[in-house]
Amino acid sequence: MVGYLFGLWAALTLNFLLPRLLPGDPLAALLDPDSAGYVYDSAVRESLEAYYGLDAPPVEQYLHYLAGLFTGDLGQSIRLKQPVAAVLGDHLPWTLLLTLTALGLASVIGIWSGAEAAWRRGSPMDKALTAAGVVIGNIPVFFTGMILLIIFGATLNWFPLSGGRTAFARYASAFDAVRDYAEHLFLPALTLTLALLSSKFLLVRGSMIGVLSEDFILVARAKGLPAGRIKHHHALRNALLPFVHHLAAHAGFALTGALFIEALFDYPGMGRLIFESVAARDYPVIQGAFVVVSVFVLSANRLADWLTMRLDPRIREG
Amino acid sequence: MRSNFLKAQTQLPERTFVREARRASGTEGLIGVSLLAVFVTAALFAPLLAPYDPAAFVGRPLERPGAAFLLGTNDVGQDILSELLFGARVSLVVAVGAAVGTVLLGLLVGGVAGYLGGWVDAALMRGVDVLLALPQLPLIILITTLTGAGLAQMTLTMALLFSPGMARIIRAQMFNQRGRAYVKIAQRFGASPLYIFRRHMLPHLAPLLIVGLVTAAGRAAAMEAGLAFLGLGDPSAKSWGLMMRYALNLPGLLLTDRWLWWLLPPGLCITLLILALTFTGMRLEKRLNPGGQSS
Amino acid sequence: MSAPLLSVQNLRVSFASPDGNVRALDGVALELARGGALAVVGETGSGKTTLARALLGLHPAECVAGSIRLDGDELNRLDEPGWQRVRWRRIALAAQNAGTAFDPVYRAGEQIVEPLRLHLGLSETEAWQRARTLAEQTGLTERHLRAYPHQLSGGEKQRLMLAMALSCQPDLLVLDEPTSGQDMRSRAQMIALLRRLRAQSGLALLLISHDLAAAAALTEQTAVLYAGKVVEAGATRDLLTTPRHPYTWGLLNAYPNMTTTRDLSSIRGQMPDPARPPDGCRFHPRCNQAVDDCRRFEPPLERRGGRLVACHLGGVQTLLQADNLHKTFVTNGHAGPDSLIEAVRGVSLAVLAGEVVGVVGETGSGKTTLGRLLAGLLTPDAGAIYFEGQDIQAVNGAEGKNLRRRIQAIPQDPFESVDPLFTVRQIVRQPLDIQRIQGDRDALVRDALAAVGLPAEGGFLQRRPHELSGGQLQRVVIARALVLEPRLLVADEPVSMLDPSEGARLMNLLKRIQNERGMGMLLISHDLALVRKVADRILVMRGGAIIEQGLSSVVISRPQHDYTRALLLAAPSFNWFPDGSQGADESPDINNTGDQ
Repeated sequence: MVGYLFGLWAALTLNFLLPRLLPGDPLAALLDPDSAGYVYDSAVRESLEAYYGLDAPPVEQYLHYLAGLFTGDLGQSIRLKQPVAAVLGDHLPWTLLLTLTALGLASVIGIWSGAEAAWRRGSPMDKALTAAGVVIGNIPVFFTGMILLIIFGATLNWFPLSGGRTAFARYASAFDAVRDYAEHLFLPALTLTLALLSSKFLLVRGSMIGVLSEDFILVARAKGLPAGRIKHHHALRNALLPFVHHLAAHAGFALTGALFIEALFDYPGMGRLIFESVAARDYPVIQGAFVVVSVFVLSANRLADWLTMRLDPRIREG
Repeated sequence: MRSNFLKAQTQLPERTFVREARRASGTEGLIGVSLLAVFVTAALFAPLLAPYDPAAFVGRPLERPGAAFLLGTNDVGQDILSELLFGARVSLVVAVGAAVGTVLLGLLVGGVAGYLGGWVDAALMRGVDVLLALPQLPLIILITTLTGAGLAQMTLTMALLFSPGMARIIRAQMFNQRGRAYVKIAQRFGASPLYIFRRHMLPHLAPLLIVGLVTAAGRAAAMEAGLAFLGLGDPSAKSWGLMMRYALNLPGLLLTDRWLWWLLPPGLCITLLILALTFTGMRLEKRLNPGGQSS
Repeated sequence: MSAPLLSVQNLRVSFASPDGNVRALDGVALELARGGALAVVGETGSGKTTLARALLGLHPAECVAGSIRLDGDELNRLDEPGWQRVRWRRIALAAQNAGTAFDPVYRAGEQIVEPLRLHLGLSETEAWQRARTLAEQTGLTERHLRAYPHQLSGGEKQRLMLAMALSCQPDLLVLDEPTSGQDMRSRAQMIALLRRLRAQSGLALLLISHDLAAAAALTEQTAVLYAGKVVEAGATRDLLTTPRHPYTWGLLNAYPNMTTTRDLSSIRGQMPDPARPPDGCRFHPRCNQAVDDCRRFEPPLERRGGRLVACHLGGVQTLLQADNLHKTFVTNGHAGPDSLIEAVRGVSLAVLAGEVVGVVGETGSGKTTLGRLLAGLLTPDAGAIYFEGQDIQAVNGAEGKNLRRRIQAIPQDPFESVDPLFTVRQIVRQPLDIQRIQGDRDALVRDALAAVGLPAEGGFLQRRPHELSGGQLQRVVIARALVLEPRLLVADEPVSMLDPSEGARLMNLLKRIQNERGMGMLLISHDLALVRKVADRILVMRGGAIIEQGLSSVVISRPQHDYTRALLLAAPSFNWFPDGSQGADESPDINNTGDQ
């Protein structure tokens, strides 16, 4: 637990130090009428001055920054002229929807295919899946997305090309609403699922192969248990221990993939927010996004440890 | 608790791929090295191979592939084939630079921690753990936005963020070696730390360094393309990622078949480069470490 | 006799490996009666565990050929669901390593309950009730059932493994190394528990083990497995007391037990590469008595005197056999009854191939005369000596010369046994010249000198006996004996002239050479302490006759004859201090005991 708190503190401090220590003085440039980055809107400029407090001594700036974090004050977006916290709050649910959907799908498919491939180790199916896993796992996620977008969006017209929902749509029923959201979610989620799938498949397969060579599997077979029970009740149950850990720890990887995918599909989550903020040099938003993502990733790691501990009797008490 | 925290970080997907593929034959190594040779040739001889100056406006905008322009032209009339050839340079420079930086930094931090041990090791590894736990892409985006786009700082940032993983592996191997009887015996004979490092550490680290080099190169190439795609690339160095970004910026690109020669080629190039590096890494790992005793 | 419970015929198990097809089991046949117990013993890699798994159908079907019949039902043609009905309900397995045999994420009890529910269709409550009964039978409690495997000790897991294996009341329990890796006490408890369980339930046991003592304690029948083949099978008691096959014999000799006083001697060489077994008999590269046929043809498993043995020679060969030898010396030259000394009176003995037989006795017991008779240095007045089946007095000429070559003597005093004018080279080369051995004789000389740990270069070869120490000269003499590649060494007090440390070194050398070359050795000595370190069997001589003989361990630990006991007490020991319990005045008087 100490490790995570330390990590969190380090992330927040880094977030404070980076804009102040990196060459080019980017924050000062926002307030300098002679620089290209000068913020012309005086109301926004004043709120930035108040948030960063660049004239105050560094320690005071730091304490002010930390106090702001605890009250949810992450500064003001230059581009959107809104509090950063509110902007992030608008976008985060979309990213979570995309990430969690893809993680869920990739996990289910990865566990199933990994277990089957390990069970039939050396079979043509196993070899094909493993080779595909290595190749697909190495294709950059934005390229996979592009191909899917071209094929299913542009060419076949099966799914919308961009956005998280139809603009200005008024839904006749809840079903229509869900359908619209799902149609927009489909391609981004499929892309991310593919990106996440191969590592999950390979992990489950490898871990399952390891478990299958254990003595207790031999004993389970000797006990006359049916194949299905050995595969699922004993082998998979043990093989899933590292997987659960991997799954939560891999949340950061999933989120990273989601950022690219959202940029590509114009999906209204954190990725598109970062994408647009980068173009506008909207530092407060990017910093806020970094804080949110860091907290998310660190919490996921913590969750991973906790889950592993719950599921493995050996660690639970040791 | 701490060990679990670390374990999460060592289960990076690329390690899993590499471990998985150990059993595979030498075919993937051949594919990897051949592809790599093609890209290196393209990058080295781009000025000779490219039909045009990639920056010059040599044709009409959005020309279809033909005799004059094998892959057509982009929206401002630049030759896409020439752009692709010169783009290989950007990808490879970033890949090689970040990989070398990763290995050197990793060797420095991991080597010092592994050699000295004690509180130096504890402090360095705590720092390494923090860097490993932070989300890399948002951090790179943050740094790159703040410093402004540029190949040099992008490469350096990547090296900085990739090196903690390398440092961990190197430190583990150093610790492993330090405990060996032959190192202790050499020390009893009065061998200097430098001698021990040169004769007993480096040869055992070499396979890890080489595989680490190739792995980091692959990650850097992918990261560069991704950043350029997000608009964080160096605008003066037109990489494959940047080409894709410009292509996608064209309204209605996907509604015609222009994506076929503007969007697809750079995407294929970057994918093949990453695959080539991965395959080469898998093969090297298998060759250099047949027993698979490390890590 | 009724039909056996288990009948295995021509069982072959082979696996594909990068080095080729590995035949882990090659034509194994076994039978086990209902309620009986059979041990399958052999070294690591002999195929024991492969056999255990084959009996439960745990190998891929395409790897297994032959017949496994249980109660008349052919199991080897069963499909997977068919095997699932056999496993645990009819044949259960107590796996080799109980430490890892339990799924770490479930409680031990849940894993015992699992087959009960599946095979016997018991309800959860009934199954747990039965698990509790089983736990009690194996000396465990409810607490152990509720524990996760990692919370249990190795011994507890072993017992739970047994409880689990017995849960469905199988007809046959396969025990794979139930005692390996355990300390002596838990091993003894395990054996006691198994004996009790067997007496209670009447189940049949198939014990897979390299633990011969466990086999002796638990089974009536034993089969010895070597490189995937049964080389000997029979009643456990007979097999362990009078092994026939050279491998069984070697296995017993290599086996440490509490009564062994001899240093450990292992079977020479290594188990063959299972992908490339040697031609002919698979044991021949390690066998002490291999002949040409052994290299060429595989010996069939044949019935020989109530036992099955796979050996062309019918088992361990008798290298040397003496029947009723007599030797009388005349002392004065007068032909009168008073001047006759009966040095050897009706001695019969045998030395097996590769065996070390120690002959102990005091000065004047006739042991030196016996040695000379056996080495062919004296001719017996009556009786016969057979070497490799040939009567050595009956053969003459070339055959006789060849026979003498295969028996070599190492005399007590090396200085007396060499010509003082000879050089080392001449001494060692002499038998080669005498026997007109073809080939590079000097090279053979150098090899022999190297074998006894002497320098074989120019300077040393030119030395003469007076320039050598006693130990060096004795080594030269041994080299001279070895140069003709004998099958039997007769060594009469080979180290008595040497100081103790040199003597010990030389004895180690002799033992090592004997083991490596698979020679037989007759070691004659008054020093029981020395003999018991080296000899497989000991003969005790007194007044020209053998008064006691047996395995070294038995003779040393349970001497039958008073004289032997006296010899044992007289053997050098640090217990003899003037003020100790065995003061000098209490030292036994050998002359006043015995059968006079």
